[in-house]
Amino acid sequence: MAAVRGFKIEPKQLRIYGLVGSVVGIYLAVILNAVTGTNIFSFVGALAALFGVVWGANAVRRVCAYGIGTGVPSIGMLSLGMGTVAVLFGLNIAEQLGVGMLGVIIALVYSLVFGYVVGLIANRVMGFNIPVMEEGLTDLSGAGTMAILGWSFAISGSLGYVDIVKDVFNTGFLAIIFICGGLAILHPFNANLGPDEKQDRTLVNGVMVGGLSTIATGVCALLTLGLAAGMVQIVVGFAVWYYFYVWYFRLARRDAAAVVGTGLLPPSAL
Amino acid sequence: MSFDINTVIYFLEIVVGGLLVGIGVHFVPVGGAPAAMAQATGIGTGTVQLAAGSGLTGLLSAGLMMHAMSLSPTFATDGYSIWPIVATGAVGAMIMMDATMLTGSWIYAYAVGAPFASAKVNYDPITGFSQPPYVAPGTVGQGIPTICFVSGTIGAAMGGIGGAMIYFPLVLINHNPAMSAIFAIGIFMVDAVLASWNIQGTIEGFHDPKFKKWPQAFKACLVSTVILAVVAVLITPIIGGV
Repeated sequence: MAAVRGFKIEPKQLRIYGLVGSVVGIYLAVILNAVTGTNIFSFVGALAALFGVVWGANAVRRVCAYGIGTGVPSIGMLSLGMGTVAVLFGLNIAEQLGVGMLGVIIALVYSLVFGYVVGLIANRVMGFNIPVMEEGLTDLSGAGTMAILGWSFAISGSLGYVDIVKDVFNTGFLAIIFICGGLAILHPFNANLGPDEKQDRTLVNGVMVGGLSTIATGVCALLTLGLAAGMVQIVVGFAVWYYFYVWYFRLARRDAAAVVGTGLLPPSAL
Repeated sequence: MSFDINTVIYFLEIVVGGLLVGIGVHFVPVGGAPAAMAQATGIGTGTVQLAAGSGLTGLLSAGLMMHAMSLSPTFATDGYSIWPIVATGAVGAMIMMDATMLTGSWIYAYAVGAPFASAKVNYDPITGFSQPPYVAPGTVGQGIPTICFVSGTIGAAMGGIGGAMIYFPLVLINHNPAMSAIFAIGIFMVDAVLASWNIQGTIEGFHDPKFKKWPQAFKACLVSTVILAVVAVLITPIIGGV
């Protein structure tokens, strides 16, 4: 078997990738849509969300490796809950101040500050004493915000507050982003945790689930953006899912003690 | 953004709602994965799921009440009244939680075959029944004893009131029910997760020694909800009521 590509990235480096990748990705999607005058390039928003997902999945594995007592899903839901509030606030305030395009930045800054405060509360008030808690929740809050923003853009094709509220909130598609995006952030560590948990396997799994979420938002985009933009997004989501699924499968084989075929069930067991 | 006395009232309502959610979580008998295997007392799922469930049913029933009020012929002069909305939210959440506990109890009693017993108290404070003889060795109680059921109902009522008290001012601020519901879910998730971290996963109800930790959750939820409420009152409708 050929050697499988693995990687190891420092959290600080990954944070930069996640931040820059998602912010640049969302603005790139806006510019591409504006320049070409179509909404085909909305899928770039979903790709930007994947950067946020990787960033968040890494924060989940850092914090949850200490054990938080309530299961990994709770931290993913917290991340997306903080993200929802931050996105609405950022977009709305930017629109009120007349700087609609800066909504992403305002949402991001608010979410980072709020995440840090929640991390402080968790450590100081509730006595978690997890050294990376503040850092981890800052990351998670920002990652949740960028994931929601990216996929919201992928559904609405615009960063305007009015468009996002009309296409994503009033239609209820935010619930899909909430759960699918939450899965992409929380599921990787939940599925891979254990003494042999490896960063590359967990993060590749995160991108894989992110690809599935992109298929889901693509189906939503069929209704809001039309057939072409929706189909492009579904195809891109499928491609991402397939590529990372194969990669993940190889990594799982690499980390397995042994891979043996068990054969079919014997006739007496059926 | 227009600040007047109403903004302050909305702000306080959201903060009180968030605190009610945070404290209400402590009343709900959450057993987590051990309870799903009938090895611990309580409902066999996580705190966040239960808190979200009771809060969302509270939201839904509060929304239904608001809709019913808006159909009233005297609505134009009367406007909304908060008490029926809050009461409906509480009842909706209580029905949801009681239905969950009741059907869960049927499964524990008739499918798993476990006697309901609490491992945290020697005598059930409500029925006075002795508990330790029925706790199977190696477990921390099974099923949902009377005290847990009562405690869970109280917790659900607090969650429902909290959900309605967050949702109602949000609708009055931004005039968009869908957005308010999702925003309320965001606030709900933050408070429920903070409270569930405080109880470290499992709790039996108000008779559990862990319940004494609630002041910590109160402080944590106060700080986080204040930050969220400031943001909530700043969001204003822009064009055409969105």
